[in-house]
Amino acid sequence: MDLNMDLNAPHSMGTTIIGVTYKGGVVLGADSRTSTGVYVANRASDKITKLTDNVYVCRSGSAADSQIVSDYVRHFLHQHTIQLGQPATVKVAANLVRLLAYNNKDMLQTGLIVGGWDKYDGGRIYGIPLGGTILEQPFAIGGSGSSYLYGFFDQAWKEEMSREEAEQLVVKAVSLAIARDGASGGVVRTVTINSEGVTRKFYPGDQLPLWHEELEPKNSLLDVLNASSPEPMNI
Amino acid sequence: MSIFEYNGSAVVAMVGKNCFAIASDRRLGVQLQTIATDFQKIYRIHDKLFLGLSGLGTDAQTLYQRLVYQHKLYQLREERDMKPETFASLVSARLYEKRFGPYFCQPVIAGLSDEDKPFICTMDSIGAKELAKDFVVSGTASESLYGACEAMFKPDMEPEELFETISQALLSSVDRDCLSGWGGHVYVVTPTEVKERILKGRMD
Amino acid sequence: MSTSAIDVPPKGGFSFDLCRRNDMLAKKGLKSPSYLKTGTTIVGLIFQDGVILGADTRATEGPIVADKNCEKIHYMAPNIYCCGAGTAADTEAVTDMVSSQLQLHRYHTGRESRVVTALTLLKKHLFGYQGYVSAALVLGGVDVTGPHLHTIYPHGSTDTLPFATMGSGSLAAMSVFESKYKEGLTRDEGIRLVTEAICSGIFNDLGSGSNVDVCVITKGQKDYLRNHLLPNPRTYVSSKGYSFPKKTEVLLTKIMPLKDKVEIIEKGDAMEE
Repeated sequence: MDLNMDLNAPHSMGTTIIGVTYKGGVVLGADSRTSTGVYVANRASDKITKLTDNVYVCRSGSAADSQIVSDYVRHFLHQHTIQLGQPATVKVAANLVRLLAYNNKDMLQTGLIVGGWDKYDGGRIYGIPLGGTILEQPFAIGGSGSSYLYGFFDQAWKEEMSREEAEQLVVKAVSLAIARDGASGGVVRTVTINSEGVTRKFYPGDQLPLWHEELEPKNSLLDVLNASSPEPMNI
Repeated sequence: MSIFEYNGSAVVAMVGKNCFAIASDRRLGVQLQTIATDFQKIYRIHDKLFLGLSGLGTDAQTLYQRLVYQHKLYQLREERDMKPETFASLVSARLYEKRFGPYFCQPVIAGLSDEDKPFICTMDSIGAKELAKDFVVSGTASESLYGACEAMFKPDMEPEELFETISQALLSSVDRDCLSGWGGHVYVVTPTEVKERILKGRMD
Repeated sequence: MSTSAIDVPPKGGFSFDLCRRNDMLAKKGLKSPSYLKTGTTIVGLIFQDGVILGADTRATEGPIVADKNCEKIHYMAPNIYCCGAGTAADTEAVTDMVSSQLQLHRYHTGRESRVVTALTLLKKHLFGYQGYVSAALVLGGVDVTGPHLHTIYPHGSTDTLPFATMGSGSLAAMSVFESKYKEGLTRDEGIRLVTEAICSGIFNDLGSGSNVDVCVITKGQKDYLRNHLLPNPRTYVSSKGYSFPKKTEVLLTKIMPLKDKVEIIEKGDAMEE
């Protein structure tokens, strides 16, 4: 066996990422699993990355590629914000992501969802899939888990949702994908952006709804062994 | 077949008390055919610094020429000899430069510092330094050399005992390797003299 | 090829002039060599007042143990250290290059290096080589913004974690961390947990072995505990060693006495202002 199987496999995020617009803003959602081959390299990663105060991006695909793209875009947006003297719009951010994704399409293996709020357009979601296309959408889903969600979103997404409805939709969708997609897992993270600002939320894996044939969380053997009972094997 | 096995070689260096020894076999072959039995694999950089190069003969000679050239420039500029540690870093840098198209040779560096402290070190073909306190080996006979040295080496040997130990380790190892052998070449370096000996070995 | 008549010393960067020849040799069926690897267990964790890094000390070349006591915790800056796994030459070269860049940056700014600076420089280099420079790193340090621990993969992706493992023994070490790590460990608890994680790599992973190195970094102080634990002492060596009664057959001896180096002090007037 190759001693370095986990080292040589590229580090990628078989992911579920979601962006949804609602009345007054956007909600971004993602799972937290990063894997190298079949090994979970990070079970609590943060795939929703800040670009500016009012624009965030959900990353999927190669971890290295998506990090470098978002690092460059963050750098350009900082310069742009200073030159402009006011916050960058979501459209500008998304077009910068598109520019890098399109110009380097032979080199990059990453799909991104840009979401945010600005005073001109309100809440906006842009999907930038593999080749460097840009798509302004009312909602966008991405990553390996998204194939389980297209039908669900066609049925469940409605225009002019409230903030709570949108957040609940995102959490439900990510937890559904986690249940079916082996490459997605861990916790659910959401970021809500509107005129008021940004709110981050975190839903631990053992507090997510249970879907078809999923089991209740059980105490692990470690908890049993660490329990105060002097004879752990008698439990 | 690995490219390291094209010419065949065995190089070993050992540390003694205020001295060191470096030894190699003398065969140059093209695969199983022997071409020469007096091939130099140990090169003198300066009086107290020796370089053994195992692996592909052509690359060993090319690399040696580049290193000697750079060492001579250093001597001219600095008006002193290079310290063994510095020379090891130079070799490492030259090899790592060719990280994606390496020289197919594995160097062994042995030297005495200005305070007559012995220094030995080996590298892989892309310059990963491996500093050792006792002995280092390289070449096609390296596997048997590891075993022989591991058993025969003891710390703080005097020059004569060091010579016997390194010679026996070398000869017994190359007898178990088809691609190296045909006698040995040993340098024992003390603060006062360099003793070079040619060993008699099996000629088969 | 250089156009000048003599081979000018290179100014840096990789040289690819042997690639075509080596490809030709490879096509003829001559296999390329295997490189020195550190089939490793390296770990790091954040504790109460800083970061602890740990590593085993085995270097391998294929199935051979090439070095029984190598150093895998590399210096980056006085307040930052970095564990390396993967191809030994790559981990050594990349950490050396970045640590000198950090030193120059410190001379320029007159401030302590930050861990994110090291992280950015490392990931920039590794991403540029698209995974061909195979270095997997655990970077840890304490700077003005507090303790930080990161992992860096050969392709240039990075993670930020409270506890991290890398190398072929990472699964064994991670199982120890996953069952025993908690927030706010004391220094002693932290060192013990790191040692236990490395030991589980040493004993359960064939690519890792020998001793445990630990490096504790706290605000304004670091302790590099080289060979903190020696769980595999040598027991098979005879105290007398071998002696060889029959002398080795020598065909020719040449003795070259070494001259004493003469120091020349040029006589002259003392320098005056």
